[in-house]
Amino acid sequence: MTTMTEINLTTQVYQVFIKATPERIWEAITNPEFTTKYFYGARIEVTPEWRRTYAPDGGDSWGEGAVTEFEPPRRLVHEWRSGYNPELSAEEPSRVTWEIEPQDGGLSLLTVVHDRLEGAPKTAASVAGPGWMMVLSGLKTLLETGEPLTG
Amino acid sequence: MNDDDRVFRALADPTRRLLLDRLFERDGRTLTELESELEMTRFGVMKHLRLLEEAGLVATRKQGREKLHFLNPVPIRLIHDRWIDKYTERRVSALADLKTELEDAG
Repeated sequence: MTTMTEINLTTQVYQVFIKATPERIWEAITNPEFTTKYFYGARIEVTPEWRRTYAPDGGDSWGEGAVTEFEPPRRLVHEWRSGYNPELSAEEPSRVTWEIEPQDGGLSLLTVVHDRLEGAPKTAASVAGPGWMMVLSGLKTLLETGEPLTG
Repeated sequence: MNDDDRVFRALADPTRRLLLDRLFERDGRTLTELESELEMTRFGVMKHLRLLEEAGLVATRKQGREKLHFLNPVPIRLIHDRWIDKYTERRVSALADLKTELEDAG
């Protein structure tokens, strides 16, 4: 494997098919009761203006990012700061785009694009691979089975 | 063919694994860039990329006039969650049972 510094992570794209309507997926990404079950325990509140994250177990605010596009249930774009880690949150903010497209057979395709990471290399490495994968596989499991992913 | 079949079939080919490795090293590449690193016709590379896309292992995005290819690792994670976790959990619990049994006997 090559070293991390050689890997270009400034734009990252993740996709997953979920057997759920766009409305249910939208609810799961914007309602804190859902996010605690798949987003590393974090409570995440989303309004048309901002997206605010709280640490698990009713903990402190991890800060907020401006919401720049809010089109339920299809498209959400917001600023990302890694408030869970002081070193990472000192980096420049990046951008996350959620796209939800209905497909045949009761499926929806969820695409997460995390980009504008040029000024946040540590954040880029932190969210890459397992970071977003855990969130998306957890979200899929939660919506399809009603149970959070364990382990 | 279900989703897992598509992923396993896509991964069964060395050229397609090589394409994924190339994208792992540097993500968001055009067909022309990928083609230049492989001893294969443009058509051949396109065919492999299409199979990877159908399996969900490669996601494409338009950027200006270019189509960029990104490695999407989520299907591999899902296979991991569904298969690997299941067996490692059982092994761990088998060891835990063995420990209990040995300690109770002793």
